[in-house]
Parts: sequence; C-alpha cells; structure tokens
Amino acid sequence: MSETLLFVEDTLQIWALQFMGTVYFLRLLWILHFKAGGDRQAPTGRGTSPRKGILYSWLNVAMPWAMESTRKRAFMYAQFIIFHLGVVSAIGLSFIIPYAAEWLHSLVLVRVLQVSIGLAFAVGVWRIIRRMTHPVMRKISSPDDYFSLILLTVWFFFAFLSVPNNHQDGEGVLMTFFLLTAFFLVYVPFSKISHYLYYPFTRFYLGRTLGHRGVFPLRRTS
Amino acid sequence: MSRNSRSYKAERVIERLTRKVNRQMALSLAACVHCGMCTEACHYVLANPDDPTYAPAYKADRIRRLFKRHMDWTGRVIPWWVKAGSIYTDEELNELMDTVFGKCTNCRRCSINCPMGVDFAVVNRMARGLLVSVGIMPEGVAVVSKDQWEIGNQMGVLKEEYLDTLDWMSEELQQELKDPAAIIPIDKMDCEVVYSINPREVKYDPRTIADAAKIFHIAGENWTMPSEGWDMTNFGLFSGDDDLGGAVARRLYEKVEELRGKKLVISECGHGYRSTRCEGPNWAKYDVPFVMESSVITMLRYIREGRLKVDKSKNTIPVTFHDSCNNARSCGLFEEPRELLSLVVEDFREMYPNRSENYCCTGGGGAMSMSEYTPRRLKSAIVKAEQLKATGAKIVVTSCHNCVDGLTDLIRHYKLDMQVAQLVNLTANALVVEARVAVPVEVPAAVPAVEAALPLHGRRILVVDDEPDILTFFSTVLGDNGASVTQAPDGATCMDLARKEKPDLITLDLSMPGMDGGKIFEALRNDPELAGIPVCIITGKPELRRLIYDRPVPPPEGYLDKPVNDETLLLNVRKILKLV
Ligand code: SF4
Ligand code: SF4
Repeated sequence: MSETLLFVEDTLQIWALQFMGTVYFLRLLWILHFKAGGDRQAPTGRGTSPRKGILYSWLNVAMPWAMESTRKRAFMYAQFIIFHLGVVSAIGLSFIIPYAAEWLHSLVLVRVLQVSIGLAFAVGVWRIIRRMTHPVMRKISSPDDYFSLILLTVWFFFAFLSVPNNHQDGEGVLMTFFLLTAFFLVYVPFSKISHYLYYPFTRFYLGRTLGHRGVFPLRRTS
Repeated sequence: MSRNSRSYKAERVIERLTRKVNRQMALSLAACVHCGMCTEACHYVLANPDDPTYAPAYKADRIRRLFKRHMDWTGRVIPWWVKAGSIYTDEELNELMDTVFGKCTNCRRCSINCPMGVDFAVVNRMARGLLVSVGIMPEGVAVVSKDQWEIGNQMGVLKEEYLDTLDWMSEELQQELKDPAAIIPIDKMDCEVVYSINPREVKYDPRTIADAAKIFHIAGENWTMPSEGWDMTNFGLFSGDDDLGGAVARRLYEKVEELRGKKLVISECGHGYRSTRCEGPNWAKYDVPFVMESSVITMLRYIREGRLKVDKSKNTIPVTFHDSCNNARSCGLFEEPRELLSLVVEDFREMYPNRSENYCCTGGGGAMSMSEYTPRRLKSAIVKAEQLKATGAKIVVTSCHNCVDGLTDLIRHYKLDMQVAQLVNLTANALVVEARVAVPVEVPAAVPAVEAALPLHGRRILVVDDEPDILTFFSTVLGDNGASVTQAPDGATCMDLARKEKPDLITLDLSMPGMDGGKIFEALRNDPELAGIPVCIITGKPELRRLIYDRPVPPPEGYLDKPVNDETLLLNVRKILKLV
C-alpha cells in the first residue's frame, strides 16, 4: 500500500475528524447561546409527562407507526432506514479499513456492508431523482440539498467498491473513497448533513413540551 | 429601493428577529432537512396539490431564509448555497404576511409529522408577531387586536352589553327552571368556580351561557362570572403578539385573584383554553395560584360525582366530534370530550383521523377574522368537509367557538346536511332536572298565541344586502318569525325604502357595489327622519368594524360578523328590538 493511501486513510481522516469535532462543538455552543423557552403551565392531558414525551420523541425514529407521515407511507420510512443504515455502514467502513482490515476477511461482513451500502446508493439515486422532479421537493431544495445528496450518493458508490479493501489491483477506488470521506467530514458541519447534531435537541424540546401537555406519546387514530 | 438599504419596517423586523428567536425556534429553523415528509400533513396542500407554495417546508423557508442570512454562519458567508436571504422592502414584508397569515392556521399538524421534530407552527407564530410589531397584518387582525387591547375583549363587547346578556340569560333560566334562585351570580367573592367565556357567546350564542349556568346551578356549584376581565380568548395567540397575550391573560388571572376564586373554569374554546391554561402564564410571566380547567372536564366531573343526572336518550341524532387543534394537539384535551359525549348522546360516530391527528376546521389561527383569505380557507376546507361527510352524522360537536364558526361556514359552503353544537348544549339538553319545591316566579303576562309563537310579529324589517342568497336567507328567517320584511339589494333602494316604510329595524351589509354600507349608515344617521331607526350591521368583513365605529355618528345598535345562522340572527334582532 502506498504512503499516500496510508496517509489518506489515517492521518487525513483524523485531521478531518478533529476539524469536524471542533466545528460541531462551536455549533453546539451556538445553539446553546439561544435562550431556552420555559413553561410555567401546570401539566395538561392524562398519563403523560415531559419525561415520557422526551423518550417517545427520541424513539420516534424507530416507531414507523407513530407518525401518520411514516405510517401511511411505508416506502418512505423504509428508504429512510436504508439510507441511514448505509451511512452507518460507510462510516464504519472508513474505520474498519485503516484499523481492523482483517475483519474484511469475513465474507459475511463484506456482503452485509455491500448490501447495506449498495441499497443506500440506490436510495440515494432515487432521492436525487425525486428531489429534481417532485414539484414540492424542487421548490424547497437549495444547492446545499442537492450537493449534499449527490456527495453522499457518490460516496456510497465508492464505499461499495471499497468494501473488499482490494488495493493490490489499484488504489484509485480506495483513495477516492477516503478523500471523499475527509471532504465529507469537513463539509458536514456547514451543510444540512449536520442535522443529526440538532436531532436530539429538536426532538427533546418537542417531546418535553408535548409530553407536558398530554399530547406525546401520540394516540394513534387511523 | 437598493438592495443595501432597508425600509424602516424591514429593518425593525430583522432587528427583532434576532431578539425573538429562542433555542427551540432556532433548532426548528436550523434542523429542517427538506425531506418533504410534512407536506401531506397540511390541509392547504391536500386541497391545492398543484401549488407547492402551500407546503409547510416552503412556508417555513420564507422565515428560515431570514434566520439563515442573519443568524447562521453558512447563510452569512454563502447565502445562495443554503437559500438564505434578507428582506428589504415593505412589499416583501407583505408577501411574508400573505404566507404566515394567509397560508397557515398554525394548526401544528405538520409539527407532529416531522421526523426531525421541527415545530413550524411555533416559528410561524413568531413571524406573525414580528410583522404585527411593525404594523403589517391583515386588517381584521388589527381590528380585533385593537378591541382586545382597548375594550378588553376581542369582539368589542361593551360592559353593559355583557351584563345585559347575563341578566337576560338569568331571567330565561329562572323561567325555564321555575326557580328564582337560578341566576348568574356576578362578582361573587370566594367562589369555588369563576367562569370565563368567549365574547362570541355574548354576541352570537348566549344560549351557551344559559346552558352553562343551568349546569352550574343544577350541580349546586358555588360559582360566579366576573363583571370585567371575563374574556378567556386571546388574540395574542393568533397575532403572535406576546405582549397582548400576556396583558389579556393577566387581566383574567388578576380578576380571579381579586374575587378569591379557587378555580377558573374556561368555557369551550380551543384557543381560549390554550391561551389561558397553557400559554398565558408564560406570556404574562405569571405563576397562577389557582386551578384552571376546561368546562368539559367540569361537566364530566359533575356527572361522575352524581351532581348532575343525564339521560342520553334525549340526544338521539347521530353525532360526531371535531377535535380543535389547540385543545387536542397543543393541550392534550381529547379523551374527556369523548367520555362526556358517551354519557350524553346515544349515537356517537368517530371521525377519522381524530384526536391529535385531526385536521384543522380551517378557521383556526384567526383565519375567521381575515376575510381577504376566505376563498383560500373555504377551498382548503374540502378536507374537513370530506371528513365530516364520511361520518354520516347530523351534528358535529366541537369544544371550540372558533371551530363552530369555521365548521358552520364550510358546512354551508359544501352544502352538508349537518349542524354544529357544543358539548354544553348537548349536556344541558340531556339533563334530568329533579322536581324541586315549586317557588312562584314572576313570568310575564300571557301574550296572544300568535305573538308568543312568532316573536317578531308586527315588526317591519328592511334587509339590505347585495347577495341574493343572503337576502333570501335573512328574509326567510325573519319572515318565518313573524316580521314583515322588505329587501334592498343596494344603497339607493335602501334609502328609498327606509323613507317610505320607516321600518323598525334595518339589517345592513357593508361591502356592496355603488354606495357602500358605511356611507348608507352615515346617511341614515344624518337624516333626521331616519336617524332613530335601529341598524344592525351584518358583514363578512370584520376589519370594516373600525370604519363604522370611527364615523362621527352614533354607533349601530348591533353588529354581526358573517356567517350568521338563523338562531343568532333572530337572537340579535330580538335583542335590538328589546323583545327579550
Ligand atoms: S418533515 Fe421536517 S425536516 Fe422534513 S421538510 Fe418537513 S419540516 Fe423539514
Ligand atoms: S401548521 Fe397546519 S396549516 Fe400551518 S403549515 Fe403546518 S399543517 Fe399547514
């Protein structure tokens, strides 16, 4: 393996991760500098509490039946899960290759990663088409939305090809995957991809408010 | 105006935005991934599938772009990349107004359907508040807010009118129950319950006050109504004006404290309940020392405690229930109304979806006071109309006065064979009144049979409106009740007929082609021969109220906002003619 690939797989990733961590930390400080709104009201509703509301809100992502928007559109939920599992797999891969390459001797793991990342790639392509053709999606999309989605989809593509970690036949694929990973890490805090930093907070506050007011956990009605 | 200079109002909006955004709002503004999952949650989208500008995320982006441009790093450095942008002119502020007031009822349905937990309704309300702070708002919002600031309630009901109505309802109750003790106590100290109402009840629906009074009386409650600070509605919720919200809530809380009431019972009103019970303490920064409760819970408790006996066979017509967004989606009040219904009606049919997932009546968020958006509202109401139709019910019950108006309007628009009622009406109707020791009550002397049956017998009423449907509707209602009715489709005919016939009352529409209602009203008042004829303004444009009351002539004897149902019309006409 070339020195360059070694550098790109390891040192460059660590730098990129450190950069991302620093910017995320600053983002967190930025969010926390906004004053949190309080709630003086006595609780309303029955059988709920802020704690239950927060838990329910956080676990919402794993309960497709909880929201009408996912309950009635099973495909939308499935593609969401596939896409995010693909992200987890590809991130995992970016650590496995430099630090635990021997794991990839397991054909089962290779196939699991390939299926997960391959399906996520397919979903990525579908998402690009949807974003470009659906009138509402076109209307609400920004250049960042398109770029982030294309970046992830291309990243999935190279992650898929990189799974066997085969650098003997050429380093181009691995090099591209790791360069994209580093770019991705640096770009993420400035893009919509940083949503996962906000997710626990948005859902915490919504859960706390609606739990206090007897709305969360939602009662399913249709 | 150059892109570098901002109008005074735009400058203020940007300045206030940076102060107004709290952490929850900042997160909702930062976290949207533009996934579109909330799109179909919105009734506006369902009714306008080809117009993407109704999508919640698109509407939110009208506000989000400002946040990103002025408060977020990426938007500051490369605005075009994240579609960040500022606002420079008053025209742009007006466009924003069209979105935040005219395309969203703040119903919060998209919020509970967003996987990220983006609470758009809260952000939308904040944007409304910013615009209101620089005087940019629909005219109706300005009028109602002004009334609530200055007169103390959002329908401009004067204290005498309120107290007269309570008196009148007391008398009706005494007669109905044949019990001189059956009165509405006013400003009684140290009561268990202080009862607060919506001014709409005084104006259009005093029956609900009488029904509530009947319930309190039969339950043997130690209760009272305040002479002032009685309005539990709060336009601050709709206008986004926290100062107004706080002032109105404080007025009510202080009155209850002054009366040393133990519990504030809030009559059936979604936004009133939410404002008073949930948001008010925050806006007013007031730690409320007494209990606050919806009258639905109070009625349910009375029945469970055996203080009220009800017979559900008195309500046999099929009934469905519409959950008000504010009650169900923001306050968790959805089981109690159903439990109460199961006790007082025989045939209850659930509406789907329901509870926190119910669709807005489309009259929420103050939409009923913004007549410029009426066509949009009624178009989006198709969603609710289909929900209602599917139940097969003949009565839709709701615990919200706003919903009563919204539903009444859409039922008429979509020609549904349905009526709207509130739980208090059905509960009062189902009451089993135990025989009491009869105490003679002074009942007015017997009147000739025909007059008793036809309350407007012998009265001449001139109905003025340019809409033939309205002319026919009003004339039929008034005619069926014994009045002799003449019709005028325009101002000139009105003046002619008024001089010729000298009617006992004129009902007058305001926006008519040619001579508008305001001018006709002034002309009537300035004509010594006609000045004494009582006038009841009936308009679909509540924002015109100010134009009438600001005229240099004595105010009209009555004022009603359309839509008006037969009962309301009759009640108000009788009130003006002093027949009650
Ligand atoms: S569902 Fe939430 S994250 Fe998705 S577009 Fe709507 S508001 Fe944004
Ligand atoms: S709050 Fe209600 S009306 Fe407003 S965008 Fe969301 S779903 Fe539509």
